[in-house]
Amino acid sequence: MSPQVAAYWYVFLKGVGITLWISWLALILGGVVGLVIGLLRIAPWAIVRWAAIVYIEVFRSVPPLVLFFGCFYGLSFAMKLDLSPFSAATIALTLTASALMAEVVRAGIESVTRGQWEAALSQGMTYPQVFRYVIWPQAIRVMLPPSVGVYISTLKDSSLASIIGYVELTKSGLLVRESTGISFEVLLIIAILYFIINYSISLVGTALERRFKYVH
Amino acid sequence: MSTDPSSPVLRIEGLVKRYGPHLVIDGVDLDVAAGQVVVFVGPSGTGKSTLLRCVNGLEDIQGGRILFEGQPVLSRSSAIHAVRRRIGMIFQGFNLYPHLTALQNVTLAPVKVLGEPAKDVEERARGLFRKVRLEHRAHAFPSQLSGGEQQRVAIARALAMNPHLLMFDEPTSALDPETVGDVLAVMEDLAREGRTMLVVTHEIGFARHVGDRMIFMDGGKIVEDRPPEEMIASPENPRTRQFLGSILHH
Ligand SMILES: Nc1ncnc2c1ncn2[C@@H]1O[C@H](COP(=O)(O)OP(=O)(O)O)[C@@H](O)[C@H]1O
Ligand SMILES: [Mg+2]
Repeated sequence: MSPQVAAYWYVFLKGVGITLWISWLALILGGVVGLVIGLLRIAPWAIVRWAAIVYIEVFRSVPPLVLFFGCFYGLSFAMKLDLSPFSAATIALTLTASALMAEVVRAGIESVTRGQWEAALSQGMTYPQVFRYVIWPQAIRVMLPPSVGVYISTLKDSSLASIIGYVELTKSGLLVRESTGISFEVLLIIAILYFIINYSISLVGTALERRFKYVH
Repeated sequence: MSTDPSSPVLRIEGLVKRYGPHLVIDGVDLDVAAGQVVVFVGPSGTGKSTLLRCVNGLEDIQGGRILFEGQPVLSRSSAIHAVRRRIGMIFQGFNLYPHLTALQNVTLAPVKVLGEPAKDVEERARGLFRKVRLEHRAHAFPSQLSGGEQQRVAIARALAMNPHLLMFDEPTSALDPETVGDVLAVMEDLAREGRTMLVVTHEIGFARHVGDRMIFMDGGKIVEDRPPEEMIASPENPRTRQFLGSILHH
């Protein structure tokens, strides 16, 4: 590594920290919203299901870049909100992550067989009890691997926040490139850092998955 | 809540169940007295499972009524949970909770639903594991148990709620032949204890030795309802005769 670039190590480090932070925040918020939407998606009322489907399909198919612009300029304009790049980026990432998580939640719950509901109901459990003690603990095991995928994709999407001026890892790198005038090496470092982060998340995910497996 | 001891545990009057236009239970009347073991037989698709599922309100009904210990069973009322707590159900596919050990399968509902202290429930569960002859398997997960063992855990799980009625829907149909006997032996013990049981099964030997009544169902109706010995020896209805012939001789 050339000394000019190496001198900016703390900029990269801070970028990594911010990227991890905002994607984690979006995953948590997206997880909570996604859980609600995912439950509405399988609600017994058709109109509620439809509303959830619309939400999921819209935010799953609108490109993240459009959401970033929409949140940063659109929301500011339409609602007279003065959103910081951080807030706009968090909202945009959360919208996509929640749509993806809603599908993960739905698939997880639907993976639990009807017989489980019937056994639990026949023991006199109420619907919330069946859900909490029987369905959810099984669904969450199914949800884990795809959730890791959602986190990784959220983390990659977060690089787009650089466009609205939020200084995460990509933007940090671009700033270093500007000050040093060294392009290839800086981009390579950014790529390697993303790879290390995402690969580590994959490994943690695999380890968690193994721990969560039933005994066989 | 307690009822006159001479009144039936279960009374079914003119029960009608449809799935859309499809009539599945076509006017069934049935009284089951305390301590009776009623065995249901009949070709598949004649509504035996559906009948059991109506009794604990897993299905809504389109006509007639069901009284359990004098109370109407209404699948959509909030009272249905209290009814189900007093009716144990054993399924063909066991339906154990795979994320819990055998012991936890048995203790879950008494603790969470009945709100009993975990210590007491565990104590009782140990007794139940002895009763179903699985004391050594209490800490295994369902996936580590054979089909026969899983079904006996399912029986223990039902018993843990201290039910007043036990319903078995083809409890041995999914089992390897060599484990069928263990499950039937446990069911026979329960019958000898004087428990009230509804059992859908093709095990004619069990019906003969353990059943008080044998009911032949066909086309959503009760065709014949007699003591098992009699029905097996001399079925009155031609359809009963044909059906029993088909399961006795193969
Ligand atoms: N959920 C359902 N929806 C529609 N039809 C059903 C459903 N469950 C059962 N049936 C139909 O009801 C009839 C009786 O089924 P069932 O009670 O399972 O019969 P049995 O237990 O005697 O074999 C069958 O024709 C079956 O196809
Ligand atoms: Mg059946």
